[in-house]
Amino acid sequence: MKAKTSWRTKAYYGVLWLVALLFFLPVLWIILSSFKDLNGILARPPQFIFTPSLANYRELFSIPEMVRDLRNSVIISISALFIALVVAYLAAYSFSRFRPAGTDLFMFLLLSIRMVPAAAVVVPVFLMYTAFGWKGTWGGVILYYAMFSIPFSVWILKGFIDGVSPKFDETALVNGGSRWHVITKVILPQVRPGLIAAFIFNLIFVWNEFLFNFIVSSASTETIPVLLATNLYSDGGLNWTFMTSLTTLYMIPPIVFIFFFQRYLLVGMTFGTVRGEV
Amino acid sequence: MASTSMSRPQAPSQRAKWHQRLNDPKVLAVLLISPAMLFFFIWNVIPVLWLVGLSFYRYSPKFGRPPSFIGIGNYEDLFFDFSAWESLSRTFIWVLLSVGIETVLGIILGILFWGSDKLPGRRLALTLLFTPMLLTPVSVGAFYQYIYEPTFGILNYFLSFFGTNIDFLGNRNWAFASVLAVDVWMWTPFMILITLAALGSVPKAELEAAAIDRLPWLQRFWHIILPRSKFILMLGVLLRTIESFKTMDLIHLMTQGGPGNATDLIAISLYRTAFDSLQMGESATLALILLLTAIAFTSIYLYILNLSKREQEIAL
Repeated sequence: MKAKTSWRTKAYYGVLWLVALLFFLPVLWIILSSFKDLNGILARPPQFIFTPSLANYRELFSIPEMVRDLRNSVIISISALFIALVVAYLAAYSFSRFRPAGTDLFMFLLLSIRMVPAAAVVVPVFLMYTAFGWKGTWGGVILYYAMFSIPFSVWILKGFIDGVSPKFDETALVNGGSRWHVITKVILPQVRPGLIAAFIFNLIFVWNEFLFNFIVSSASTETIPVLLATNLYSDGGLNWTFMTSLTTLYMIPPIVFIFFFQRYLLVGMTFGTVRGEV
Repeated sequence: MASTSMSRPQAPSQRAKWHQRLNDPKVLAVLLISPAMLFFFIWNVIPVLWLVGLSFYRYSPKFGRPPSFIGIGNYEDLFFDFSAWESLSRTFIWVLLSVGIETVLGIILGILFWGSDKLPGRRLALTLLFTPMLLTPVSVGAFYQYIYEPTFGILNYFLSFFGTNIDFLGNRNWAFASVLAVDVWMWTPFMILITLAALGSVPKAELEAAAIDRLPWLQRFWHIILPRSKFILMLGVLLRTIESFKTMDLIHLMTQGGPGNATDLIAISLYRTAFDSLQMGESATLALILLLTAIAFTSIYLYILNLSKREQEIAL
């Protein structure tokens, strides 16, 4: 068998790597470009060999909104996700263990929220936020993103809680534990993979979200995708150095996350409806 | 005075009652769901009601006039609006082409990656492969403008070897295909992921039997792989269909629906009606129709999900 790891297998592996690199090539080109000066970016023929410089990044962080928006992206993602996970976990526990009337309908409605085109959701939310004076408030933005993350979290956590035998609950209850004890100390540790998957993938969705923040946010609660879209054009043309460096910087967290949490990728990208590992 | 002396002995028993109530599954079930329900009510029920109401009014915040009731006027306008039908049909073509190409490519590449268990550096290779679908559509839209640039873009550099030059995003004939190519680049990895998951559910024994029988590959795919993996594949295709139907950020960044209306999909029309021309009533009507479409898609999705679960139970 060992001898069979021959040139055929090697060629096969070579092809696989080639496919992976082919998909990454456009991204790689942007990353490389972000280390060039403007002349390098506009050069024709394109420069493949050049002296890298961090000047674009230095310039990027000299934009006053940059640090603020990066901080906003982090604060909004983390706090929205925290609220969403708590709310979703409690609901998922109830759906899984008590199956109250209307569970299926509610789960269906939750999933359809995520299927609606963003523009269709944003129109009424925009009007509602304007009328209630929530536009541009921290609460308004964070709670919206929490709402946005709840459906997927409920779906994925219910799946995971279904996988934990109700015997655990019964044993704890018989031994005098309260329901609260069961929920926080018995079941919670067992669904940690579900919590991680829900966290990572909602984080990526919220991190990447543009439209809602663009329409409903104010300057003080603006996130990076909005900064990118609104500052893209300057002096009558595209601001290439800004675009390449910000894009490169902003894609680091999602790439790092999928490198470390690859086994949750499938459940993450299918809103928790398809289980399995890749 | 009497009331205080009365209430004192009652307090512990009342607390006990509360405790008992909390442990009553029926009360607890509702209590645990209520925060999620609250979110659902505030951010979904209210806006949808608002949408339904607004769709019967003519309202544009631009002029500061109060909304005026016009009955089903917006629905009539939309029904007779040629450009709306045009962008709807363009959206269908978009969905058909993007999902079709991604599915075929994804299945082929997914099968190619089937035997990648021992690939050196597999984790890194898959990370690189799956990166496109995890990027901000805004970033992707922005950086493809650089790659597609007619004068110094890298793609036109390669084309210059053949003596041509194409303004990918600025030319009416090329814009749709160019934007479609970006979508295919971004989402083919998703179909690869789905295919890998689907292939994982094909029993090894049946495959080995087929290998011993020396069944041709096409027949193996048709008779063994496809029946076992069809549900997961269908779920993937449906999810892609729904997502593709929603495409907006990406195109908005690259072409704003132009040039002319070559890349004007329904979600972009909606955005333009609402936030560029500020016609809230009309956009609410369109939004409502898209909402119903999404709900229809979701029910088909769940129907297939349940079918696949039932089949799995029978198999077990």
